[in-house]
Amino acid sequence: MKTWSEVAEVQPLASKIIMNSIKKGRISHAYLLQGERGTGKEAIGLLIAKGLFCEHKNGIEPCNECTNCNRIATHNHPDVHWIEPEGASIKKEQVENLQKEFSYSGMESNQKAYIIKDADSLTVNASNRILKFLEEPSKQTTAIMLTANGQAIIPTIKSRCQVIELKPLNPSSFQQQLIEKGMAKETAVLMSALTNNLEEAIAWKEDAWFAEARKLMVQLIKIFTEQHQDVYLFIHSHLLAHFKERAEQERGLDLLLLALKDILYFHIGNEKAMVFFSPNDDLLEKAAMIFSQEKLIESLDAVLHAKRKLKQNVQPTLVMEQLMLQIQG
Amino acid sequence: MKFIIQRDQLIAGVQDVMKAISSRTVIPILTGLKIEAKQHGITLTGSDSDISIESYIPAEENEIVNVEQIEEGSIVLQAKYFPDIVRKLPEKTVEIESDDNLKVTIRSGKAEFNLNGQDAEEYPLLPKIQTEDSFEMPIDLLKSMIKQTVFAVSTMETRPILTGVNIKLEDNKLTFIATDSHRLASREVPISNANTEFRNIVVPGKSLNELNKILDDAEEQVEISVTNNQILFRTRHLNFLSRLLDGNYPETSRLIPDQSKTKIQVKTKELLNTIDRASLLAKEERNNVVKLATQGNNQIEITSNSPEIGNVEEEMSIQSIDGEDLKISFSSKYMIDALKAIEYDEVTIDFTGAMRPFIIRPLNDTSIQQLILPVRTY
Repeated sequence: MKTWSEVAEVQPLASKIIMNSIKKGRISHAYLLQGERGTGKEAIGLLIAKGLFCEHKNGIEPCNECTNCNRIATHNHPDVHWIEPEGASIKKEQVENLQKEFSYSGMESNQKAYIIKDADSLTVNASNRILKFLEEPSKQTTAIMLTANGQAIIPTIKSRCQVIELKPLNPSSFQQQLIEKGMAKETAVLMSALTNNLEEAIAWKEDAWFAEARKLMVQLIKIFTEQHQDVYLFIHSHLLAHFKERAEQERGLDLLLLALKDILYFHIGNEKAMVFFSPNDDLLEKAAMIFSQEKLIESLDAVLHAKRKLKQNVQPTLVMEQLMLQIQG
Repeated sequence: MKFIIQRDQLIAGVQDVMKAISSRTVIPILTGLKIEAKQHGITLTGSDSDISIESYIPAEENEIVNVEQIEEGSIVLQAKYFPDIVRKLPEKTVEIESDDNLKVTIRSGKAEFNLNGQDAEEYPLLPKIQTEDSFEMPIDLLKSMIKQTVFAVSTMETRPILTGVNIKLEDNKLTFIATDSHRLASREVPISNANTEFRNIVVPGKSLNELNKILDDAEEQVEISVTNNQILFRTRHLNFLSRLLDGNYPETSRLIPDQSKTKIQVKTKELLNTIDRASLLAKEERNNVVKLATQGNNQIEITSNSPEIGNVEEEMSIQSIDGEDLKISFSSKYMIDALKAIEYDEVTIDFTGAMRPFIIRPLNDTSIQQLILPVRTY
């Protein structure tokens, strides 16, 4: 998405709001773009920044050719500052640097832009420091904050930004894209439930790890239905060995979540919405015998809890063991 | 791009620009060093976005050829490796060549390095220099102006504008002012050939400290010009640019009292030593307070008292006292800084009461002023 017309196809409303304010020369001093992964936050942020600095703008479209556009795209423009989390969060040093930047004049021009990625990873303290700038913006400064989790932004910041909500991607159009890339329909459906990012989906499909992970989850459901006393053994002998990194564990739990959801769909006869199993899988029927609707809802809740615990750095083995006990019980 | 250059010249140039390059920069291209070849010479550029340094190596100087076989062009090289490579090359001359794929070849004797360069288009554009809006002054004068003011800038980020030195050029007078709101240092010099005027230019103290380090003590002129967002200091082969602080510097002229109730005249060195001794017992957390009391007969007494440690008293004879008797407390650190900055043998200090700021000036000279706020004690 390198032009506003391309963005307009995916995000018609959001792009219209911003395009109109650019046309009328009324760009807000701060934007908060919130939308899920893959909804084009970064592309929109880039376009706003390019629009501010581009030398050969064609109407509202930046040229994408001049040195300013090129340098913004490669993060090399000295007056466009990118702040992205180093590791899990935005570090204190980065915020201090940013604060210092607020007080300096621009390097090449009189205007400056700040793009803060994953603005929800700012601590409350750091947010409050940025607040000061949002309250008293200096001349010609534009802040663009990107977040996937608008709820985590403190209200004092929100109230000082123009909040632009990006609409979630339409899963069927994403599936269509995946199928066009040569993915089988079932895989495409599953991928679209797991991610919004085209490249990521294709990379996973190619990855043997992912195929194995999926197989393991099918086995896990099987063990739950057939010999649930072996679950404990299974997670230690197979699951934990395969899901080593935290990102992998989260992905595994996502798969488990989808599998359990499908069993629930089987109960209520919503076969169309299934993503993990194919509707005529034998295992589904067997699993539905073991898992009642209430139990499924409890289990789904337990999986979500487990995901949250992983995020909070709880020991993964313990999380898994507890989760299995909860699903069994 | 291609050229052959004298290695010593290149090393000196690289060393200068390396002072501006920081490895911790957020903008990836700034980890590099830009080399630009023109028929008349080679320009090296380094920057950490706050300050930028350009070093110019002319192709020919005093009939000595520094650079030969120049094919014009420019490239950005990794600053982490390039200086060490240049320093350790075997021969007296270095050949540097870059191709369209941003591959750089460095040859010297039989050694050959191939480095990956970056596109010079990506490098920040430094403001164009307009020589008509500039003025000149001797380097040593500029350095002493920096030394006499920059120590007083604020180190607190709460009021960022005070972390800089306010520079004014008005009515053919150049003024440097720095304050951290507890003290103020100002220095004024006449400038004869200025064809520009500006006020409310605030240069970060950090940049000036850096400039002070990089300028040689040579008796040469430095040319200063100010653009919208940067200030340029230009010597024969070196351009030093600094970004400015954004915002309005507080009006300081009204802070300086124009009359005084007590005026003393004292030998700078003696007072400095006395205060320094008294400060030994003054405690950091209590602002290093020392007391000064006039005693008539051209005597003053300096005391300091920390109940937990002990106290110190010292009487000293001074040149003269005029006006009311006075007892005043102040930070010894500020006093020492101020006295050190005044490079004159004798100073006059004007007091306007124990609760009002006092001002230190060299004898019969108002071009240097050091203002200090007293400390309230009971």
